[in-house]
Amino acid sequence: MSGLTLRLRAPLVERIDLSGITPHAAVAQDVDALRRTVVANGSRAVTLGDVYFVSGTPGDHLEIEGSARADGLGAGMNGGTMTVEGDAGDDAARGMRKGRLEIRGRAGVHLASGMKGGLVVVSGDAGDLLGAARPGERFGLSGGTVLVGGDSGQRTGDRMRRGTILIRGMAGPAAGSRMMGGTIWTERGFRAGPGPLLRRGTLIGPSVEHLLPTFTDCGWHDMVVLRLLSRYMTATLGSLAPPPLPEKVRRFAGDLATIGKGEILLTV
Amino acid sequence: MKVNGVAIDDTFAEAFGMSATGLVITADSMKWARIAAETMCGFGTSVIGCGAECGIDCEVAPAETPDGRPGIRVLIFGFSPDALLPQLRNRVGQCVLTSPGSACYNGLVSDKTLALSAGPRFFGDGWQTSKRLGSHRYWRVPVMDGEFVIEDKCGLTTDGVGGGNLLLIGTDRAGLLETTEAAVEAITKVPDVITPFPGGIVRSGSKVGSKYKGAVASTNDAFCPTLRGATKSELAPGTISVLEIVIDGLTSKAVADAMRAGLTAATAIGTSKGLTRISAGNYGGKLGQHHYHLKDLVA
Repeated sequence: MSGLTLRLRAPLVERIDLSGITPHAAVAQDVDALRRTVVANGSRAVTLGDVYFVSGTPGDHLEIEGSARADGLGAGMNGGTMTVEGDAGDDAARGMRKGRLEIRGRAGVHLASGMKGGLVVVSGDAGDLLGAARPGERFGLSGGTVLVGGDSGQRTGDRMRRGTILIRGMAGPAAGSRMMGGTIWTERGFRAGPGPLLRRGTLIGPSVEHLLPTFTDCGWHDMVVLRLLSRYMTATLGSLAPPPLPEKVRRFAGDLATIGKGEILLTV
Repeated sequence: MKVNGVAIDDTFAEAFGMSATGLVITADSMKWARIAAETMCGFGTSVIGCGAECGIDCEVAPAETPDGRPGIRVLIFGFSPDALLPQLRNRVGQCVLTSPGSACYNGLVSDKTLALSAGPRFFGDGWQTSKRLGSHRYWRVPVMDGEFVIEDKCGLTTDGVGGGNLLLIGTDRAGLLETTEAAVEAITKVPDVITPFPGGIVRSGSKVGSKYKGAVASTNDAFCPTLRGATKSELAPGTISVLEIVIDGLTSKAVADAMRAGLTAATAIGTSKGLTRISAGNYGGKLGQHHYHLKDLVA
């Protein structure tokens, strides 16, 4: 598999924006043009070549050394695979449509905002507003799958429309706020107040630190749709997939402060 | 031509292009998946009077179904996509939605689709919600035993074939039925085909038209043993029963394979149970686009 490798020349001292530095974008231009891509506009323009050693041949794969100051990693990806060695800054996978982005570290805020398809795998924690809409935007995550190996920050999935977020750790406070569809599945539970103004969509986890009073207990149920979800996760994530959901889950409908067609499903 | 003592007519079955779709119906057990599927396929023998031709293609193992439960694949054939859609909605809405524990999924991969859920999902009266997983969208309709899950769309083919057929002719009514049952059993093993009539067998083959106004089809008197001598009969002396197998398939090849399987099974039994001859129904070759010559299928 051909591909490019980007290694930092030195630890970053200012934020850079790597939006659009994707495998397919790299294929569309020669390596010299890629090096000349401006990645920061401060007192002087900083190019990709100023901060990264670029080697290899553009192809389906792009490997890049990450940094918490490197924003927009994988943003706009439309195919191929991209591996980030280390942390990612803000807005990683923003607007992503296809392909696979793997972040071997932590991700900053607004991971996968406006994402419409593809797969994002983060080995560490994800910051606030994972899969959330940016200010002024109507929808957050609108498709695809995001796997977070650690915890997520607050308001995970804010205004999320479709897609699936799987969090191996805990989902931060107010997960699923204003959510309109899709699924957030946490393996260790939700911090306080999941689902404020949840319209539609599914929140799944073993526990909730504090349940909002606008959710109502519908009892324990064997739900066919969860079988579909478990199988879908296995098909999408393979060995990374979580264990299948139990036969019965406890359903809380809400948020009744709005149309209340969403749900929190407790697995324990 | 004779095969194992059974005469094979030098004729062909004449079949027609049809639109078709496939569904996979699941339930908590194979018993209930089959009940839902059989109920849905009821009154689905002929497009002439039933609006659609329906039947069970095969059982689907839990590992192969979308929700990991036992399933049944059903095929539905109609004159056109427009004719198929209301049949699909009504049959799923009245027979699958109502069946305990059932769920209904697309059973035919195709670029062309039908709006499977349009109709049944509105039973939810506003409480229905959808769940999109990858490229599939499912509707969850609250019902009294939980939720009815139905996929948003199902595949459509306009390359289906309806009306492949075999006529089994014999001198022993009970024995001929056993032989025909064996042929149907062999056909059920062929994928992508159904035999929509009761038990896969028709005892009232028809001809086009009637002496009565308004009847589009009437008894095929040339193949009625009790009219031998009184009409221009196609039957030899001693014949007392004729049974027909009608076959619909998603492709022309599937229909040909099914006819071949039926012929092979019937001729393997041979004359021991009264089968004397196998023929096929046609309209002179002028109406149907698909012709299946028996001599090509017994080779």
